Amino acid sequence: MAEKLRRYEKIDFLGEGQFATVYKAKDTETDKIVAVKKIKVGSRAEARDGINRTALREIKLLQELKHENIIGLLDVFGHKSNVSLVFDFMDTDLEVIIKDNNIVLTPANIKAYMVQTLQGLDYLHFNWILHRDLKPNNLLVNEEGVLKIGDFGLAKFFGSPNRINTHHVVTRWYRAPELLYGARLYGTGIDMWAVGCILAELLLRVPFLPGESDLDQLTRIFQTLGTPTEETWPGMTDLTDFIQFKPFPGTPLKHIFTAAGDDLLDLIASLLNINPLQRCTCDQALQMPYFSNKPAPTPGPRLPLPTTVKRQPEEKPSLKRKLLESMDGASLAKRLQF
Amino acid sequence: MMPGRPPVPASVPENPLGLSWHDSAWIPMLNSSNIMDYFSERSNPFYDRTCNNEIVKMQRLNTDQLTNMTGSEYILLHVQEPILYVIRKQHRHSATQVTPLADYYIIAGVVYQAPDLASVVNSRLLSTVHHLQSAFEEASSCSRYHPSKGYSWDLKNGKALTAKKEVPVREEPSSLFQRQRVDMLLAELTRKFPLPVPKPIQTITEPSVEIKQEIKTEKKDMKPPPEKKPRIN
Repeated sequence: MAEKLRRYEKIDFLGEGQFATVYKAKDTETDKIVAVKKIKVGSRAEARDGINRTALREIKLLQELKHENIIGLLDVFGHKSNVSLVFDFMDTDLEVIIKDNNIVLTPANIKAYMVQTLQGLDYLHFNWILHRDLKPNNLLVNEEGVLKIGDFGLAKFFGSPNRINTHHVVTRWYRAPELLYGARLYGTGIDMWAVGCILAELLLRVPFLPGESDLDQLTRIFQTLGTPTEETWPGMTDLTDFIQFKPFPGTPLKHIFTAAGDDLLDLIASLLNINPLQRCTCDQALQMPYFSNKPAPTPGPRLPLPTTVKRQPEEKPSLKRKLLESMDGASLAKRLQF
Repeated sequence: MMPGRPPVPASVPENPLGLSWHDSAWIPMLNSSNIMDYFSERSNPFYDRTCNNEIVKMQRLNTDQLTNMTGSEYILLHVQEPILYVIRKQHRHSATQVTPLADYYIIAGVVYQAPDLASVVNSRLLSTVHHLQSAFEEASSCSRYHPSKGYSWDLKNGKALTAKKEVPVREEPSSLFQRQRVDMLLAELTRKFPLPVPKPIQTITEPSVEIKQEIKTEKKDMKPPPEKKPRIN
């Protein structure tokens, strides 16, 4: 274990989440830049299990997954009751790209992001895994324009007919209507819905359905896409948290996505189908005419990158980083105590 | 467009040169700042909604971004307030290189596609030939043959035809727009070539307000005749 500690040289602080702190580090054996995610010890309940649940999920699932468009788990090591995961280093994510107003997302760029997302997700679904937290922030992009699905903290195997899942998954804005209605048995549809919301966000550059509460989220969905009925979504009324909404007629998608071609509108309509059973799968989506029609997806190296990534590879400089720098001396690589 | 041009057969779908589009709700308030919005109305058949302008608009970006993009875009090429706007569709290869694809002109709020040279020449040739042919047909319908007299002209029918054409042309009252336009042109002309105003001999001590008033009244007296004349007719 001690040699593993020495293997990764910390370069920079990248960010801090609820469960972990992420550092940029250099793998001294391969000279590759990696991201080291140091899992926090967490609450006593979690500590009693031995390890934080999200970290366990990530290790368990990612160890067996290998795909161009899935974040690669390169190494896991422990030190002093801490666990650290070593991932591919990713320069940015779709959220940063969407919010950067200096970037124009051309139809070809959007197609490139969609192809990669769906291919990665198709691989996950093919292996009976639901991601359950797809959002622009979790679609990571590196300098070469390769998109990888990251953050498997909520991912889970699906398909067992009697396994009850929680419906408190997926960030609200990307949450499918069946989850908002409290469905406990769900499938790939919830990830597909999130992909639909992400596609809409790539087109509009603002969150498509930014609900302020779960109820508001449903209202926004129905206002935009029309209130479903028992005919358009059979079984809807049997869901635990079902509430009858005022019937909204919905807005035609071509009035929302004014510059989108008809093939793209078909894809959006299919991804954002209110009825989860009629929503397309990744495989079906990738077979749709949109992906074979012109323009061809932009090749990875020609995809736009935020200016922050180009000028200085380190992103999100924070107060904490400054503090660390002032303590350690800015340019010196510090050995990480995991 | 050409008076003598035969009508386009209905089977030919949407020759853009035979189309026009307008939205009457917009027409009273058109100006150079909203003309591009008018042109990008959804129902305008000349507007390709997959163009860069629409992408930038949908993504809520600054229109300056257009120059960084490649593909088709529309620009406002020429403005002649308040009546004429020319919009160009062009393919952008880089920030500095563009290829024009088509021009559209908006005259009095109605959008047309400007024809290409080949279409213009084609149309002119066709109408020339058409008129020549109808002239020959007309002439040959008037020629008579008699075994003893040989060929002769019988222009009676022709005269009747021309006489019939002389339907009293009813004078159309001018539209509000035409009147305003004429007034504007007249005002412009009088500004460029001011009428010789005889300098009123005034004493210096008189207040300036009065001078102004006097000039005004004088102008009023002199101006109307050229304006009123055409209206009386």
